Amino acid sequence: MTEPSSAAPSPYVAEHHEPSWREGVKTGMPSLFGIGAWGLVVGIAMIKSGLTIPQALGMTLLVFAGSAQLAALPLIASGAPIWVIFLTALVVNLRFVIFSALLAPHFSHLPWQKRLLLGYTAGDLTVALFLQKYPSEAPQLGKLSYLKGLLYPNWGSWQVGSIAGIFLGSTVPAEWGLGFAGTLAIICVMIPLMIGRPALCGVLVAGAVSVLAAGMPYKLGLLLAVLVGMLTAMAIEEGAEKWRSKGKHHG
Amino acid sequence: MADWEIWVVIGVLALATAATRSSFWLIGHHITIPKRVQEMLRYAPACALAAIVAPDLILAADGHAVLSLSNLKLVSGIVATIYYLLRRNMLETIIFGMAFFTALRLLPVIQ
Repeated sequence: MTEPSSAAPSPYVAEHHEPSWREGVKTGMPSLFGIGAWGLVVGIAMIKSGLTIPQALGMTLLVFAGSAQLAALPLIASGAPIWVIFLTALVVNLRFVIFSALLAPHFSHLPWQKRLLLGYTAGDLTVALFLQKYPSEAPQLGKLSYLKGLLYPNWGSWQVGSIAGIFLGSTVPAEWGLGFAGTLAIICVMIPLMIGRPALCGVLVAGAVSVLAAGMPYKLGLLLAVLVGMLTAMAIEEGAEKWRSKGKHHG
Repeated sequence: MADWEIWVVIGVLALATAATRSSFWLIGHHITIPKRVQEMLRYAPACALAAIVAPDLILAADGHAVLSLSNLKLVSGIVATIYYLLRRNMLETIIFGMAFFTALRLLPVIQ
């Protein structure tokens, strides 16, 4: 990986800056409890869907993506092909591509291993909080320290919650139906993404197609549902735009 | 799934995290995503989550759709959705939803 020679060297962005680090930690603090609880739910769901303790620990430490993990669990339980599970996780994670595009330009001068790791650990909340403080891409003292102040505690509380969930889940009998908490968690992640008519229609269509096509082999109904839902949302969005621009021409 | 298969799944899931979260970090330059692609990226996750949750809520163990009050998961899911819309708090919603689901499951009156 080579850097563009035109980029001004700005080593001070990467320097440790204690006040920024502290500010990052402080800003992220209120969300840590929620992150830990979300980790707990995913931890329980992993065990309740039949993973062993080492598998669940490996998943939480290596994958570090709650909604993709929750999405993968029913597929693992029903023995779906690995490539279907991969595609599903990729689609659930697609929102991160946007975050990655927003956040990465701030740190393009860092070595690639560091960038890979920072990107890997930056979840939804971190990106939102970081961009609130630094909307501009211009290099600034303490930027990296602030990001780390958000990232490290976030990672820590997720892992603590998740590991607690794994051990708690393995002591609770299956009849309690704790796995349902995973379904409820997915609903809570999904609702804010459903805002607006195109997204709402897309979600309803995707859900309906998924139920109707549940009998398809290799869990292909799932991928079909995502595709049809997404196309529905895009068609509605574009239809609405055409409608608006027509209105402008006439009025 | 065999133990090794699950480890392969964990490996590809980690790859899915890296591919989406670190993609632009590795490219490093400023890139503007075309509008159409942005739309796609925005709607895909919600559709995928819906496609996962819907069969879980609606289909019974034998694979048949149950759209009645006897489907406790569906009823609890709808009630939890309403709760979330009112309170906008994930943790509370999960606790409330689980409590509601458990109550329905244990109360013999409804069944």
